[in-house]
Amino acid sequence: MRNSDVAISIKNLTKYYQAFKALDNVSFRVKRGDFFAFLGPNGAGKTTTINVVTGLSNYQTGQVEVFGYNTVVEYPQSRRLIGLCTQESNFDPFLTIHQLLVYQAGYFGILPHVARRRADELIERFQLLEKRNCKHRALSSGMKKRLLLCRALIHDPEILILDEPTAGCDLELKFLIWDYLAQLNKEGKTIFLTTHYMEEAEKLCKTIGIINHGRIVRIGEKKEVLQDRSLESVFLEVTNPMNGGNHD
Amino acid sequence: MINNPIGTLSLSKREILRFFSVAGQTVFPPLVSSTLFMYIFGVAIGSRLDLSSTGMTYLSFIVPGLMTMHLISSSYENTSSSLFIARWHNHIQEVLLSPLSYFEMVLGLLAGGVVRAMVVSMGVFLVSLLFAHTVIQNPLLLLYFILTISVIFSCAGMMGALWAEDFGMLNVWNVYLIIPAVFLGGAFHPISILSRPLKIFSAFNPMFYLINGVRFSVTGVSDIPVQFCAAVSLLMAVFFFYSTVYLFKIGYKLRT
Repeated sequence: MRNSDVAISIKNLTKYYQAFKALDNVSFRVKRGDFFAFLGPNGAGKTTTINVVTGLSNYQTGQVEVFGYNTVVEYPQSRRLIGLCTQESNFDPFLTIHQLLVYQAGYFGILPHVARRRADELIERFQLLEKRNCKHRALSSGMKKRLLLCRALIHDPEILILDEPTAGCDLELKFLIWDYLAQLNKEGKTIFLTTHYMEEAEKLCKTIGIINHGRIVRIGEKKEVLQDRSLESVFLEVTNPMNGGNHD
Repeated sequence: MINNPIGTLSLSKREILRFFSVAGQTVFPPLVSSTLFMYIFGVAIGSRLDLSSTGMTYLSFIVPGLMTMHLISSSYENTSSSLFIARWHNHIQEVLLSPLSYFEMVLGLLAGGVVRAMVVSMGVFLVSLLFAHTVIQNPLLLLYFILTISVIFSCAGMMGALWAEDFGMLNVWNVYLIIPAVFLGGAFHPISILSRPLKIFSAFNPMFYLINGVRFSVTGVSDIPVQFCAAVSLLMAVFFFYSTVYLFKIGYKLRT
């Protein structure tokens, strides 16, 4: 990795969808080993930011780097370092979940015997063993969430980006995911999390960024952002126009 | 050019196994239709046609035409359906999020089209042996044409898949452009029987060169010099390949 201190660096990022400005001069950094919560109301620009960092979206101006690798010019290097757990399940319908993970590992240059072993480990870790040879349609929504996590982790990425990973999960699964994420972060992985659950962000994260109408409206270490208040009240203050939040 | 060989091979393997797993829909139908074509047009009707000017029977004449036609349609259909379904289900993201370069992505995706086209075209040739004993005159040249033609139409299939907004649009190019051009390009008739204006028209049809390239490789007979056919097919393959890589690079209908 070229720059070991900064996992994600975004400078002056602006992104339009036709005439709609989805991201407006967004700049921030995520430190290596951080657990970063990226919060905002629906349509604020969270998923767009993730898509830009992972290369799923083009953008008009700005610069995005992952561990010092420019995500446009040096995309193979930057993508190798990222694992993305998307909001919705989007699996190849022709493959079993084991095949799906093995192929995904293959795209990241992992040898087949290593990929098979790693896929089995993740399938066991996320309690999907009984569905190992099933196609994703046979999975419940909670199992699909777990499979999304397995897919994001199959190549042992340095940065794990999670787009609302616990949305729609039952309590048991939510705790399983929380524990695993906390453990990964302890092991040194950088985690970038978007969520609508304030208690999730408050419990897990070290740094908090809040985006609204495509602009960063609050960012800093958890203590600094909260200042002895609840995250929910801070969030409502900066995002709700009735409370004087940032809006166009 | 290839920095991630394991990744490229993984994607190629997935694409190849995908069509083999549904061989009943991807490999056998062209063989059945070719058998019928050869029997009805080659044997029943063809025996009454005089093709003495070409030095061949009509059956021998249409075998390379049928091989080319299925070579083209198999490679086009394979990549167009595979990439379109991946866009439709959004599992194309599995590939787009990976460290594969755009060159490697296109290479991996077209592998299925190329292998399917090879299997089907050689299958058509084997079926032709049921009706006539044919010896391939230039096997290496045939391999060259099979590779270049399948690359051209695998890439065209990917372009079609990127362009299409729904399943109805997916086959528009194939039905309204490619198949008519194949028929008019001399798959089933020698150029010598056409009127002068149609001969001139054929000279602007790229399929004419591709079909004649395959025909020369199989029978040793062609309407035009084979070097010209080889150059046209190579230029087209390079053009279509790099155009597809460019579309992936700019993220045409792949990135928002």
